[in-house]
Amino acid sequence: MSSLEAAPTPVGNVLFLGQRRVYWRLLARGALLLMVTLGIYRFWLNTDVRRYLWANTEVAGEALEYTGTPLELLLGFLVAVAILIPVYVGFFLAALDLGTVGQMSGVIAFVALGVLGQYAVFRARRYRLTRTIYRGLRFHQSGSAWLYALRASLWWILTVLTLGLAYPFQIASLERYKMRHTFYGDLAGRFEGSGLRLFLRGLPMWVAVIVPIALTIGAFVEVVDWQALAEAAASGGDDVMSKIESGNPEIADVVVFAMLMGGTSVTFAAILYPAYQALMLRWWSSGLRFGTVEMTSKLRTVQVYGAYVRFVWYAILCAIVAAIVGGMGLVAASYLVGGEQTSVGGEIAGTAILLGGYVVIALGFSTVYRATVMLSLWQLGMESLQLSGLSALDAVKASGRASSPVGEGLADALNTGGY
Amino acid sequence: MSMESGKGVFFDGRTSARHDVAVTLGATSLVISDHAGNVLANWPYDELEPLTAPDKVLRIGRHGNPVLERLEIFDPDFARAVDIQAVHIDRTGTIQRRQRGNVIGWTLAATVSLLLVAYFGIPALAERIAPLLPVAIERKLGDAVDMQMRAMLDTGKTGAAFECGKAEGEKAGRAALDKMIHRLEAAAGLPGPLRSTVVRKEDANAFALPGGQIYVFRGLIDKAENADEVAGVIAHEIGHVAHLDGTKAVLQAGGLSFLFGMLLGDFVGGGAVVIAARTVLQSSYTREAETDADTYAAVLMNKAGGNVRALATILARIGGATEPGMKILLDHPETKARVAAIEKFANAKSTTPFLDAKEWAALKRICAG
Repeated sequence: MSSLEAAPTPVGNVLFLGQRRVYWRLLARGALLLMVTLGIYRFWLNTDVRRYLWANTEVAGEALEYTGTPLELLLGFLVAVAILIPVYVGFFLAALDLGTVGQMSGVIAFVALGVLGQYAVFRARRYRLTRTIYRGLRFHQSGSAWLYALRASLWWILTVLTLGLAYPFQIASLERYKMRHTFYGDLAGRFEGSGLRLFLRGLPMWVAVIVPIALTIGAFVEVVDWQALAEAAASGGDDVMSKIESGNPEIADVVVFAMLMGGTSVTFAAILYPAYQALMLRWWSSGLRFGTVEMTSKLRTVQVYGAYVRFVWYAILCAIVAAIVGGMGLVAASYLVGGEQTSVGGEIAGTAILLGGYVVIALGFSTVYRATVMLSLWQLGMESLQLSGLSALDAVKASGRASSPVGEGLADALNTGGY
Repeated sequence: MSMESGKGVFFDGRTSARHDVAVTLGATSLVISDHAGNVLANWPYDELEPLTAPDKVLRIGRHGNPVLERLEIFDPDFARAVDIQAVHIDRTGTIQRRQRGNVIGWTLAATVSLLLVAYFGIPALAERIAPLLPVAIERKLGDAVDMQMRAMLDTGKTGAAFECGKAEGEKAGRAALDKMIHRLEAAAGLPGPLRSTVVRKEDANAFALPGGQIYVFRGLIDKAENADEVAGVIAHEIGHVAHLDGTKAVLQAGGLSFLFGMLLGDFVGGGAVVIAARTVLQSSYTREAETDADTYAAVLMNKAGGNVRALATILARIGGATEPGMKILLDHPETKARVAAIEKFANAKSTTPFLDAKEWAALKRICAG
C-alpha cells in the first residue's frame, strides 16, 4: 500500500503542492454543511474546492489562481432558476394538452433540456476559464454556446445510435471546438488529439463491455417465441410465469445466460473503469496546445488504479464505521418508530435518524471518492504533464473579460456541472 | 525584527512577463519598483487584497483593480511584515473564519425559511390560487389526470369492461346511483355538474378528480350495508370537489417539486431527503383536507335528509383493516378520530333513506355484468 500512497514524482514542469489533509478537512466540513443546508452550501464548497485545486497547481514555477466567488455562483443559479421557471411551466401546460402535443411533451422536454444542458456546459466552461488567472492574465473563451449545443446534441444522437462507437470522434470534435475558442491572454489554444487514435485504444474496452450484452440480445431474439410471450403476459393471472414457460420452453436457459452475460459486462466495466479514465485523461491532455506550447502526458494507468485502491481502503473503513453507528441508529429508530403507542414526535425523530443515516453514508462515500480518486486524478493529470515551447508564455498580452456566471447556474440547475 | 523592504515577483496584468522587483514598505503604501528604480506600482495598505496561492507564497493584488496586477512574496519574514501593515490581509485566518461563520449562519437561516415556506406557505398559496383558476382549466386538469387514472385502473386482465353500469343488466344499478347523486347534488349546489363512474376494482375506495369526476370502486358498494353508507362516502368525495382539493393537490405538488427539486436537495443522498420530505409534507396537507371533507359530508348528509351515522359506520368498517404503520405517512386522519368527529353531527331528526329496497338491490348488482 505504501508504494501506492506515495506521491508520484513529477515528470514535467507542473507541480501539485496541495496537502491532502487540508483537502480532506475542506470536504468533510463541506459535506456536513451540505447536509444541514439541504445543498445550499454547494456554491461555497465548489468555490473552496476550485480555489484549493487552482492555487496549488504550479505551472512552470507559477501557481494558478481562481478568482470566482460563491456569491457569483449563487446569483448565476438564481438567474438560471428564473429562466427555467417559465420553461417548466410551459412543459407543464403542454402536458395538460390532450392531443399530440400533450403526448409528445415528455419527449420535447427531454430534448429541449438536453440541448439547454449542452449550452450550459459551454457557458459554464467560459465562466471557469475567465476566473482562471495565470501570471496576471486571464483565460477566456469565444465562440457560440448555441452552436456548441447543436454540435454536441447531434454528436450525442450519433453516439447513441452507434452504441458508443462514435464517442471518441465526438469527444475529439467537441474538444477541438472548445479549444479553438479558448485563449490564454491573446495566445490561442487548439486541440490536436485524434479521434481515431482514441477509438483504436478504446475499442478493446468497448468490446469487453458491449459484446456480452449484444450476445444476450441475440439469444433472446433467436430463442423466444414473442407471440406466445405477449399472449402469456397479456392474459396475466397468478400463473403468468408458468404460462410464459410453457409457451417458451427454452426461456429459463436464456434468462440464466442473460444474467451471466450481464454480470460479465458489469464486472468488466468496473474493472476497466480506472483504465478508461487514465486513457481519456492521457489522450485529452496530450492534445492540448496554446500557441507553441505543447503538452504531453506521461500518465501511467497503474497510477490511476493506485488511486482506486486508496478509495477502496477508505470506503471499507467508512463502511465499518457506518455499520457500527448505523446499527446503533437502527436500534434507536426502531424503538422510536415501532411499538404500539408511538407519538408523532417519536416517528419524526425515528425517520430523521434513518434518513440522516442514509445521507451521512451517501455523502461519506462521495466525500471519500472526491478526496481520493478525484484529487488523485487532478494531481496525476497535472504532474504527468510535460510542457515544451514554454518561451511563448513570456510575451502573452492580456485579453478577454470576466463572463457572467449564468452558465454555471444553468449547469447546476440542469445537473450538467463539472469541477 | 522589522523589515522595510524585500524582494518579490510582479506581474503587471498587461503581459505575462515576470518582473523581479524590489518592494518597499512606505508610510501609507507599498511601493513596487524595478531594479533601475522605476516605480511600477504604488498600492495603499488599505487597498491590498489577499489572493489564493500555495502556502509558501503571499500573493496580493489591489482591491477593485480592473487590471490583474499581482505581487508575489516568497520570503516568509517579509510576508509577515506586509501582513502587519495591510488591513485586509490576515494570514492567521481570523477574518476568513468570521466570514465563514456568517455564511453558515445565513445558509442555515435560508434553509429553515424555505422549509417553513414548504410547510405553511405552499398549502396557503394553493388554497388561494385554486379558487381563482377558471373552470375550463380545472376541467382540463381533471381530464389529464383522468387519462392517467384510467390507464392505471384499467388492467384489462379480467376481460370484462372496466366501467360498471354499461351492460343491460347493470342499467338499473346505474339509475339508482344517479338518483342518489342527484339528491346529494341538489343539496350541495355545486357550480358545475358532477360525473361519476363505478369501476371494477376490489378495494373499498372512492376518489374525486379536479373538475368534478368521482370514481367509486365496486369494493365499496360490496362492503356497504345500506344505501346511505354509499351516499355518505359520495358526499365526502363531493366535499373534495367543492373544496377544489384535487386542484389544490396538483398546485401543492408543483410547489413542492419547485422547492425541493430546484432550490433544495442538490447533493449526494439528497434525493432520499427530497422524497421523504415531500411524502411527509403531502400527507400532512391531505390529512387536513380529509378532515374538512368529512365535515362537509356530514353537513351535506343532514341537508339532504340522509343518515350521517351511515358514513361513520362504513368508515369504521373499512378503515379498521387498512391502517398502515406510521402516523406521519397517513394521508387520512386516524379512523377512530374521524368516526368520533362525524358522530357529533348526527342529529335525532328522522331521515329518509336514499334508495328503497329494490333500488338498493339494483345498485348492489351494478357490476354484475
